[in-house]
Amino acid sequence: MKKIISIALIASIPLMAQVKEKIEVPYIPFPIKMGKGFDSVQANCLMCHSFGYIINQGRQSRTFWSSKVKKMIVHFKAPITEKDAKTITNYLFEHYGNGKEK
Amino acid sequence: MERRDFFKTALTAAGTVAVGSNPLEAAQTHQPIDDRKVSDINFPEKKPLITYSDRPPLLETPRSVFTSPLTPNDQFFVRWHLPDIPTLIDPNKFTIKIDGLVHKEVEISLNELKTKFEQVEVVAVVQCGGNSRSAFSPTPGGIQWGSGAMGCAKWKGVRLSDVLDRAGLKENAEWLGFNGSEKAAYYETPDFVRELNLHELDDHVIIAYEMNGEDLPYLNGYPLRLIIPGYYSDSWVKMLSHITVSDKYKHLFFMEKAYRVPDNETEGETPEKLYSKTKPITKMNVKSLIGFPDDRQKLYLKSQVVVRGVAWDSGVGIQNVLVSIDGGKTWEKSLLDNGENGRYAYRTFRYSFKPKKLGKMTIMSKAVNNLGKEQPLDADIPWNRGGYKYNGIDTITVEIV
Repeated sequence: MKKIISIALIASIPLMAQVKEKIEVPYIPFPIKMGKGFDSVQANCLMCHSFGYIINQGRQSRTFWSSKVKKMIVHFKAPITEKDAKTITNYLFEHYGNGKEK
Repeated sequence: MERRDFFKTALTAAGTVAVGSNPLEAAQTHQPIDDRKVSDINFPEKKPLITYSDRPPLLETPRSVFTSPLTPNDQFFVRWHLPDIPTLIDPNKFTIKIDGLVHKEVEISLNELKTKFEQVEVVAVVQCGGNSRSAFSPTPGGIQWGSGAMGCAKWKGVRLSDVLDRAGLKENAEWLGFNGSEKAAYYETPDFVRELNLHELDDHVIIAYEMNGEDLPYLNGYPLRLIIPGYYSDSWVKMLSHITVSDKYKHLFFMEKAYRVPDNETEGETPEKLYSKTKPITKMNVKSLIGFPDDRQKLYLKSQVVVRGVAWDSGVGIQNVLVSIDGGKTWEKSLLDNGENGRYAYRTFRYSFKPKKLGKMTIMSKAVNNLGKEQPLDADIPWNRGGYKYNGIDTITVEIV
């Protein structure tokens, strides 16, 4: 096998950063569906991620959405109340569900 | 699979527009969904790309880009895990810290890395483990990527081993934890730390500051990124600022729960019967992608068509890319580039033919590596809950007019 890493012993001049000011990541208005429970979704989910994260998961079962909400609470430590977790799961299943409980 | 069935699958997949309305109910793997349009909004230093999320940013490269050996920086895919990415980094102040089981804790500045260490380069493919996830059915959890959560670049930087030598590893050093500068919204959320075993890492692993002759783009991990040729991108930590050496594996969330596949021979399972033992995805399998023509492109009868694409694996090396224009009945060798970018890079292929019949036709590509491993048919790839490691024979449908 040929030598994979070619070695350049150059005392290179540090490159200038291409970004010299603060970068701005654009806001994308993802077309999230309105409906019962949306307020809880907006208040809780948007803290950490865009609506794009929700709508680009594909249609999923109630169990899937419920375990996703649990994952946010247990692993990502999102302070979502039990009541909100239920509301959010219902919302997600209604609008982004595949009709299957499991 | 019969050609007709195949046709049906390919067309259904191509006709699926919005994510979240997957009409494919059958539990069979199919072609990934690749007809998503680029956004009309660009991200910093990027051309408009297929946009799944702005926070954290998730951007996919359109497949037509995959005809060239190196993926342009401004079209390179983006995948972050945590929402708060520093928006300004002073290259004169940025340092990387190495601590834990070392003889001397060190903080090395960016300028020192560029001037006090041997500078090395490697051309390597970086691919998300969930690339092409939209091929799986039932829909696994995760972003429903098409085929473009990947790219190939020439990375320049310094060897990880040289940097570790500067700190001096203690005898019982066994694991390395890599952490970037991005943060979660809540303090309690675990950092996106990746743990790698020392023995997995060879001299091809580098800490890069340059990508295709330019500073790393912000969204690709400026100013430093861990480069692990042959491995999926989950451990290519961006904005790398901290390496902790330890003797024990720490069972961190992102290691234990994410980027894992069933630990059995086929790496498969079913939604009804999930396989309990799992393993990290680590090395990439053999795969190819047709960059031209585009799926559902119209091609002129009797015109000379040159099919172009890329093939790669974990660094074993590509032996052949076979192309079929009759639905998989017969396969012919394509022409490969001379391989000058090395075994971790894309190998570009091309295949010329003249369409002789009007109507729809399929074009398929199948890569074979130097160990004789080849891409399976999409339908033969078993499902896994994370939707990882899809590498089906690439198939597009064109129309001859």
